[in-house]
Amino acid sequence: FDPVENVKELFPCFCFSGVNCLAYDEAIMAQQDRIQQEIATMNPLVSARLELSVLYKEYAQDDHVYQQKIKDLHKKYAYIRKTRPDGNCFYRAFGFSHLEALLEDSKELQKYKTEAMNKIAERADQNKKKCPLPFHGKFMDLIELVEKQASVTDLLNAFNEQSISDYLVVYLRLLTSGYLQRESHFFEHFIEGGRTVKEFCQQEVEPMSKESDHIHIIALAQALNVSILVEYMDRGEGGSTNHHIFPEGSDPKVYLLYRPGHYDILYK
Amino acid sequence: TFKMTGMSLLQSDLEKTELTLNPPEGIVAGPIDEENFFEWEALIMGPEDTCFAGGVFPAILSFPLDYPLSPPKMRFTCEMFHPNIYPDGRVCISILHAPGDDPMGYESSAERWSPVQSVEKILLSVVSMLAEPNDESGANVDASKMWREDREQFKNKAEQLVRKSLGF
Repeated sequence: FDPVENVKELFPCFCFSGVNCLAYDEAIMAQQDRIQQEIATMNPLVSARLELSVLYKEYAQDDHVYQQKIKDLHKKYAYIRKTRPDGNCFYRAFGFSHLEALLEDSKELQKYKTEAMNKIAERADQNKKKCPLPFHGKFMDLIELVEKQASVTDLLNAFNEQSISDYLVVYLRLLTSGYLQRESHFFEHFIEGGRTVKEFCQQEVEPMSKESDHIHIIALAQALNVSILVEYMDRGEGGSTNHHIFPEGSDPKVYLLYRPGHYDILYK
Repeated sequence: TFKMTGMSLLQSDLEKTELTLNPPEGIVAGPIDEENFFEWEALIMGPEDTCFAGGVFPAILSFPLDYPLSPPKMRFTCEMFHPNIYPDGRVCISILHAPGDDPMGYESSAERWSPVQSVEKILLSVVSMLAEPNDESGANVDASKMWREDREQFKNKAEQLVRKSLGF
């Protein structure tokens, strides 16, 4: 047994040759790409509206914790719309659900459109370099689609068009980041790891595929003034799901289901 | 529509780059062919007071069609010897990677790719990489080792590359 050879075999990256190192890095990246591709072919960005009972089949029958919690969830909600688990699911689920709700509420839509315009003007003034205008444009395209009283199918098609969908995600990420930074005096107390709010935004909010936590949800709900209810379903005791409304005490417009690492859309 | 947005952003990146980088920083960058905004050439001057000072190093930036959702790739087309440049010329610094996309184990505080970054930021990061190699994440292990253990030899090697880059 040669420990040096063994290490070389297991960790080619430490094997003192730039060429090996490159091959190793590339293998890892290719592997990650393959996994992403697989996830993409198996899951649309946003799915059709499905009976909530589809969830029962996702867990083993003798998985009593989840089976019981789904039963409880079923008392409160009838349908679910799934999103692709690509790290952007919170923004995509929120974006779709919010615009879908606006389809049925033209007064709210007008109010919202004006607010969104003002916000973007404000943001553009604040920081010319980071003005998210091209992303905002895509967002306004979607708002116009909603304005024309498009069908839910049209909206769903738009959300499954990768470029439209991803630019909306970027736009919502930038709004979240902008709000966190503007209210940094408040949010700095909730950020772990000794980072500033700005660093947190650069690392955890602005890059694509970074997952979202409470702090992101609070910020986006407040930035857009849209109330979000999240049902939390995990392995915890109790037999029922817990929900949280952002901001607390508001009247929810968007309902999301959270399972560890992932958000889907819920319907009453 | 990915491509159109990418185009318009690259056009504004180009204006910004020309405005801020050319005179003070000694960087020239732009599309090789006006018809194709997704392939740029850059000329980077070795920063003053470093072992790469005086050199002019050409590189290619290749932008993906979904830029700026994904970062571009950058590759020096001249011979380079540097801890953060692969032997085939590819640049390996944190800003060219999204968080999580992490073969080199960059520090979590290092600046990463996100759609608000720009070509200007990348080029400035490359200049500071030339000035201060990061020997923690070695893309060229031989160069990392020499940088750490035999700085004199590293300087000699860099000076040779500087002369080569100027055509001597």
